[in-house]
Order: sequence, then C-alpha cells, then structure tokens
Amino acid sequence: MGVLLLVTIGWRNLWRNPRGTLLTALASGLGLTLLLVSLGLLDGSHEQLVANAVRFGSGHVVIQAQGYQETGSLSQLVPVRVVSTVGEFLRSETLKHGLRGLSPRLLASGLLSSAANSSGVSMMGVMPKEERAVSLIPQRIVDGKYLGDDDQSGVVIGAELARKLDVKIGAKVVLMTQGVKSPDTEATDTGEGEMQSTLLRVTGIFRTGIQSIDAHIIHVPLPEAQALVGLPRQVTQVAVLLEREGDSLTVARNLREQLAGLPVEVLPWRESMPTVAQSLLLDEVFNYVMNGVVLAMVGLGILNTILMRVLERRYEFGLCAALGLRPVQLAVMIIGESLALTTISLALGLVLGLTAQHYFATAGLDLRWFFKSSLPTALVFDPIIYSRLSAARIASSVGIVFLTATGISVYPALKAARTELPGALKVF
Amino acid sequence: MTEWAVELKDVKKIYRTGPIEVPALRGVSLKVAPGEFLAIAGPSGSGKTTLLNVMGGLDRADAGEVLVEGRNLQSLSSGDLARLRLQRLGFVFQAYNLLPVLTALENAEFTLLLQGVPAAERKDKVQKLFTEIGLANLEHRRPGELSGGQQQRVAVARAMVTEPALILADEPTANLDSASAAALLEVMEALNRAHNTTILYTTHDPQVMERARRLIRLRDGQIASDVTRIG
Repeated sequence: MGVLLLVTIGWRNLWRNPRGTLLTALASGLGLTLLLVSLGLLDGSHEQLVANAVRFGSGHVVIQAQGYQETGSLSQLVPVRVVSTVGEFLRSETLKHGLRGLSPRLLASGLLSSAANSSGVSMMGVMPKEERAVSLIPQRIVDGKYLGDDDQSGVVIGAELARKLDVKIGAKVVLMTQGVKSPDTEATDTGEGEMQSTLLRVTGIFRTGIQSIDAHIIHVPLPEAQALVGLPRQVTQVAVLLEREGDSLTVARNLREQLAGLPVEVLPWRESMPTVAQSLLLDEVFNYVMNGVVLAMVGLGILNTILMRVLERRYEFGLCAALGLRPVQLAVMIIGESLALTTISLALGLVLGLTAQHYFATAGLDLRWFFKSSLPTALVFDPIIYSRLSAARIASSVGIVFLTATGISVYPALKAARTELPGALKVF
Repeated sequence: MTEWAVELKDVKKIYRTGPIEVPALRGVSLKVAPGEFLAIAGPSGSGKTTLLNVMGGLDRADAGEVLVEGRNLQSLSSGDLARLRLQRLGFVFQAYNLLPVLTALENAEFTLLLQGVPAAERKDKVQKLFTEIGLANLEHRRPGELSGGQQQRVAVARAMVTEPALILADEPTANLDSASAAALLEVMEALNRAHNTTILYTTHDPQVMERARRLIRLRDGQIASDVTRIG
C-alpha cells in the first residue's frame, strides 16, 4: 500500500524546515513537560498532605461512636470491648502486614492555665506507645521529650501554646475540663457536667509548623484524661494508621463487617476529614483545568504547524492526486507527518519532564519562599513538596498528548484529502 | 475493431465564475491511436490544458464522451479515476513535477510503489529507464540538486515506468532552455518508438511542434486543424 513511503514523505517533509520543526516540537514538548511537572507535584503534594493529615488527624481509618462525626459530643463513646475487638482483628495474620499502628484516644475540650496565662485547648488522651506509631506529634518534639508510659501527670504541648502560656519544660499547668457521666460504667466520682481540673507538668514541647495544632493540641496520658473527665477505660475514637493509603477503604469495609451490630461508625479518612478530601478534590479539578489549557496550547501549536504545511503544499498534493494517490492516502501522509512531529515532541517533553521530575522528587519544591511567616492554618502540609509520578501517570500523560495531537491532525489531513483537481495544479 | 488509446466525442467544458461562463472546449471530437506521438498546439486560452485534463481524468467534461482504452471516464467515480490514472496514465507537468523530499529514484518509482510492485522490480525498472534516458548515477539526488531538464526527464521516467496506455505532458518544455527542451523531446520520442507508448503533449513552441508526428491546433476550444505527417 506504500504506507511506509507515505510516512517517509511525511518524516522528510518535517525536515524541510528543521528549525521550524524543532521549535514546534520543543513548544509541544514543553507542554508535556509542564503536564508531567504539574501532575508530579500535584500527586506528591497530595500524597504528603494525606500522609500528614492522617498522622496529625484521625488516621487512615477511625472507629468512633455512632454519630460522633456529626456531633463531636464527648458523651458519645466507643464501647470498651470495641477497642480490643479492633486490635485483635487488625493484628490478625492476614491484616497485620498492612497495619502501622492503632491508637485509642479520648478527646475533650478544656482550658490550660499557667501562672502567666490561660488558653483553650483540645485535649487528646493517648497511650504514648500506641500514639508514637500513629501520630507525627511525638516526632516533632523540639524541647523535652514525648510522654512515657510512666508519665502519669505529664503533658505535651505545642510551641505556640508554650509561648502563649509562657511555660518551659518542667513547668506546672492546670487543665480544666467538663466531666461526663459514662453511659456504661457504674459509679464515678464525677458528676455529669461538673468542671474538673488536674495539675500537670510539661514534659515536652512540639512544633509542627501548623498554627492550629501548635496552639491548641495537647497530649496527656490516657488514664489521666479518663480520670479527669470521669470515663475510666472509655475512649472517643480508635485511630488506625495503615502502611498504604490505598487500603483505607478496604480496611474500613472489613472493620464495618467485623463491628456490625455495635453502635459505632467506621470512617475512612475521606469521610472523617472531609475538608481535607474536598480541598484535594478542588485542587485536582483546578489542576485538570490548567492541564486542559496546556493541552489546548499543545494542540493549537501542532494544528498551526501542520495546517500551514498543508496550505503551503497544495500543488504538491495536487500532483500526488494526479499521479493516482487516493484521498485516504493523502490523509495518511499528513497524519504520518503529524505523528512524526508528535513523536519528536513527546521525546523532548519526556526528557525534559522526567529530568524536572527527578529534580523535584529528590530536591523537592521548597514553598517556604512563598510562606515566609508560617504555613496556612487550614491545610496540613510540609513546606517542601516532593514530586511523585507513577508509571501510569506518565503513560496517561503521554497518551493524552499523543491522542490530542493525533486528533487535531485529522483536520489538516482532511483538508489535504479534499485537494481538488485540477485547481490544485494551477501554478500561476 | 480498433481500440483507440483515447477517443473524444463532442466534448464540451465550460468554466463558471458566478454568473460568468467561459467555454473552454466547444465540442471537441478526436481519436488517438496507440503509439502516436501527438502535439496539441494553440495560443493561451485555446483549451490545450483543459483538453489534457479532461483526457487524463483530472477534470470532467460537461458534455460528450471521453474514452481511454474504451473506458468512458464520465461514468467513473473519483476513486476509479484515481485508480485509472495510477494504472494506465502518465503525467508530465510544466514544472514542479517532483516531490522535493524524495530522491530521483524514489520519485520515479513513486507510482510503481503505489501499484504495489516489489522493491527489487521497481529498482530494476527505474534504473533501466534512467540508463535509457541519461540519468544513470543521478538516482540519489533530490530535485533541488538536478537541473530543470534533468527534473523533467525524471518526471518522464516516472510517467513511463508503469508502462501506461497514454502519457499526457502539459507544456513539458515550457521552462527549459532550447537545448534542454530538444534533449527532453528526444528522450520522449525515443521512448515512444522503443515502447510504442502513446504520448500527447501540449506546446506553443513552433520548434517543439515540429517534432510531433501528428499536430492538432486548437483555437477557441475547437480543433482548427489536425495534420498527420508521414515519415
């Protein structure tokens, strides 16, 4: 059929004007480069954001009392046996390799006071060993140390809170909170709704760089917290951290089946932290729109080049048609030319894109230039974004650019195929 | 019964631009036997190129019949016309005959390749023709590296190489100097004699007309004279 010759003609036609061809290929290649860099940083930032959000928040999966997500009421508690059931289930042979840790927590609001000042806080009663496996806060200690298993009256606070209260390691602080009557314990000393307080000693100060955490979150030993609010052996939630974020939905579904019949809700992070999920979605949508603009620019560049080449060679197509080349063969010739141009563009774009991706994956993109004072409080992310690009992302980006360019070359190809004889053969 | 290489029966062609009608052919009837070496002469606007286009299936007549080897071109689809041009016709145009990105050899074998002729056979046929018409050793040059006369000879080789029923050449010498024009005509004439290929060419150069064995003069879209020379 001579397809090889047609492609050869297309290829050689590209090099009739090497500078123009290379410039067009470079412009289109930069489109792919931008796409790869943009997607790499997007995926990398999302991966980091999720990794941080789950470790500063409620884990990949959280088990809490039915309705707690909506009310946030301290009186909605996880039944005691749930904690042991969840632990046994997740540590079973089939699941234990995917589990990084699980941490039972008791959450309450309170007022933390020092000799100098007072501040509203979110108290998190934790089991130090378990919390270390789940939360990032124990890793962000900048002064003192994190809670130990024998620290019955210790407290770990954020650097912002320490500054506000003007306290240092070893300082005494008083935590005041409202007591709750447990629904499944019998007698307690705590009357429902009464204010309770306890004296704590600051053992560690952490800094995450996130204002809302550094100024409000405090960690106290779980028994101390339970005693303070009058809920011995009770917790608000069990946070589960997995090895892979992608397993969140499956583990949540399995846990739901395991805990069926109990008054608890099992939520993957997208449901327990909807604002994070929504901000990711918004970011993705915006990024797709921007990528669409990049693709349109790539497409228009290729359309412009190929169309100009077709319009310039009307006589040549007329000659080919006169010699017996059928319209479909003329179209194949043009599509071949476009594919050759696209292939050069993709090669250039891949080399540049993967080089940039490698740089951002190793050195990262440092956002501290943009946020000189502090990071935004609404989002939880590291100031340095490391690009992450999967093979599937690269393949789909190349595929999208290839399909766009090929699709766009159809119009010039049709124009060439519609070359009319004998009009196209008129020289003068 | 004789099968004519080309037969035209009362062929008419009118060009229309809006309300303006320009008759290019006004009832041309003509029979060309296989192996003829025929020139069509006439002043500009006399209908020479239109006549060639109609005979070559590049344009359609508005009335009358155009038969190439007995096939009525008026009844063929565009695709069938393209196939007919590829299989049975050869063309040489005034200028810009060759694809600039292909070598002389590739240009000459272009139609053979479209016909699906194997590579070895293509090369063999083209090289024989190139030797015959003095293009040996120029196979790998691109058109830009050939003189105007050499380019036209490559175009003639491309037209000849498929062994067509008819070669149509529209003012093939118009852009050549007289020596190159004479050399080209010699080549065309030699091929006509050696292969008995029917060749029709248009010209308004008296010296080029002289070479034809049959000369048809057109005036205002009609045949003014049709003279066959003996010898």
